[in-house]
Amino acid sequence: MRFLLLLLPLTLFANLNIAVSYPYIGALTKSIGGENVETVVLANGNWDPHFIVPKPSLISKVRNADGLIMNGGQLEIGWLPPLIKRAGNPKTNVNASTFLNLSNHISMIDKPQSLSRSGGDLHPDGNPHFHLDPNNILILANIIKEYLSSIDSKNSQIYEKNYTVFSDMWKKKIELWNKKMLSKKGAKVVQFHNILAYFNKAYGVQNIATIEPLPGIPPSSKHTIETIELMQKEQPCCILHDVYHSTKTAEFMSEKTGVKIVLMPHDIGALDSVEDLTSLFDYLTSAIK
Amino acid sequence: MKKQLCLSLVASSFLFAQTDIEQLRTEMNKQQLIIEKLQEKLEKLENANANKEPIKTEKFVAPQREAFDQSKFMPDISLILDASYVSRSKKDDEVAHLEVPSVVHGLLGSHSDGDVTHSTYNANNGFNLNYAELALSSSVDPYFTMDAIFHLSEHGFEIEEAFVTSTALGHGLRAKGGKFLSNFGYLNEKHHHAWSFSDMPLVYESFLGLHAINEIGAQLQWTAPTSTYLMFGAEVLQGENEQMFGNNTIGDVEAPIAKGSSAPSLFVAYVKSSIDIDDTTILGGISYANGSSRVDHSQEEVPSAFSGDSSLYGIDLTVKHYFDSYSFLSWQSEWLMRDMDGIGYALDPADISVVTTTTNLRKKQAGIYTQLEYGINKNWSAALRYDTIYKNDVVEDGVNLNEPDSLNSYSAMLEYKTSEFAKFRLQYNRNEALYNEDGLRQKIDTIIFQTNIAIGAHGAHSF
Repeated sequence: MRFLLLLLPLTLFANLNIAVSYPYIGALTKSIGGENVETVVLANGNWDPHFIVPKPSLISKVRNADGLIMNGGQLEIGWLPPLIKRAGNPKTNVNASTFLNLSNHISMIDKPQSLSRSGGDLHPDGNPHFHLDPNNILILANIIKEYLSSIDSKNSQIYEKNYTVFSDMWKKKIELWNKKMLSKKGAKVVQFHNILAYFNKAYGVQNIATIEPLPGIPPSSKHTIETIELMQKEQPCCILHDVYHSTKTAEFMSEKTGVKIVLMPHDIGALDSVEDLTSLFDYLTSAIK
Repeated sequence: MKKQLCLSLVASSFLFAQTDIEQLRTEMNKQQLIIEKLQEKLEKLENANANKEPIKTEKFVAPQREAFDQSKFMPDISLILDASYVSRSKKDDEVAHLEVPSVVHGLLGSHSDGDVTHSTYNANNGFNLNYAELALSSSVDPYFTMDAIFHLSEHGFEIEEAFVTSTALGHGLRAKGGKFLSNFGYLNEKHHHAWSFSDMPLVYESFLGLHAINEIGAQLQWTAPTSTYLMFGAEVLQGENEQMFGNNTIGDVEAPIAKGSSAPSLFVAYVKSSIDIDDTTILGGISYANGSSRVDHSQEEVPSAFSGDSSLYGIDLTVKHYFDSYSFLSWQSEWLMRDMDGIGYALDPADISVVTTTTNLRKKQAGIYTQLEYGINKNWSAALRYDTIYKNDVVEDGVNLNEPDSLNSYSAMLEYKTSEFAKFRLQYNRNEALYNEDGLRQKIDTIIFQTNIAIGAHGAHSF
């Protein structure tokens, strides 16, 4: 009986069925779409967003979608293209009007000056983790509203209304977060990978080093020792660590320098307590003590 | 009224005229000075600019250089180099003469077939350049994409794949045409650099050869509109596999040993499904291939030929569990069974156009490979593989030849990646499936150190 239920087409249950790459996009789309939109999140929030496994079950999710929203900026390059290829769904093709690449609407920072793999796993268009600046969430909400209205114009008023509700709430939250983070301005931090670039920029937090020597290249003992020396000189407040890399090297550094490790969720579901977009930023803005 | 107003205005202007003129003069002088100063400044600035860069005279000439430039439409290009160092317990010449009885001749090593040199990966003791793979990929227009994979080796240039795929059919349909790797089973479609070992499983390479089912033809796949992954596929292929299928006339066209059959002559169908249980993915499939067989071994030491019909059955199961983003445990197995039914021809080694004996030949052979891989982290991975051909029923004119049927091989490998673009693998193989001309089982140990390096833009691999 349960097997029969699994075989039922997904489209029976929702008005508009939108597949999204990461949980934060799902939450944002749900906020704007409300009851008219069902979102299907492809990636786990507690995994490295660069390394999602293109499981066959995801092919079916893309195949049955009425549209696809992705982060872009090459964050999905290692896993989304084979899913789109296999799904055989014209609505999720890159050139379709039902396909939305969020990175096209954000001005990205840290665009590499020169591009070579000798510099590690570089993102040619800049740092793609732009959703961790709460101000960008507003821009993204607006883009998603426009997108939903364009593909489902009969409900555009509802999307407009939901957007207003969301953005009013979010602006109030931004003020609160700004207040919370005011005292953290100028704080120096170390990260594993510069995933918090936009968050740090928004609140004037200064990233002085990364534990990985180059983007995507695992820690080396030489780089670790250099970073420890730098930390002893610069006295950062903390090591802001993502949830998906091993904290082994960070623990060693912490032991040598006394700088504490703070786990920073990058998306909804990265930690159990991070259940939605506001709790993500509530957590992030409270993390640096 | 209007007139009066005008007159009074004129009169008043005359009255004030004398003092006004004085004021205007001083004002004009002031302005003159300001203008002169500004002019000086302007000249200075213009000179400074002139020194830095000459004033552009071609201001209205549009740049023509990139008017018809199409370099932005360059397809994704990548080059993958695969090389190995091999140390084998037997000499190359010896290995090339060994066979898996009634299955395949010269499995390991290279052998010459007329003008063409065939060699498997890691064929020779010492250094091997397995291939330099050039891959091109791009969308064609809103309706198609095109992919091409060329294998360049010391022996020549090979079109491994060159196909067009539809992107706009909808309804979960996808069509492919050209030369491509069949989606039969699990491993068949995967490129060498995506394998967990540096050689092919025994049962695959013995039944189908190094490139497995790699044919010119057409493919149609349909993903069902269900929440559970369910995919059906069918392929019509030319049917030119050298080990198992074929449709060419064998021998002289005027007086053939076996007449050819009409092409296309190979048909493949499969169904695949997958479920996830938490962070464990289970992918399974059932595959079937049927085609005419014209297998020409007239150039070999013991010349022979086969003409008939063959079926290949496959079941594959992959279970992969993820501990986190970088570490996993994967168990991958495939079962292949083939049924070849036809006529066997023994040819005269002195004159291969002469048939010495003709027999009714039926081969029912089956094998399995099963492998367990542990992805320790982003850099390290280790795997074990067990290969066997456990069924080898060869019946000639109703008489079972009682060929050996416990043909095994064991492999272990350790892999280190400096990044996802550079892979170094140490592999050990123990092959107990090969027999010499005297019918004696040979045990061959092989150590392979393989390097696989990729540059350029190479698309991500599917599951």
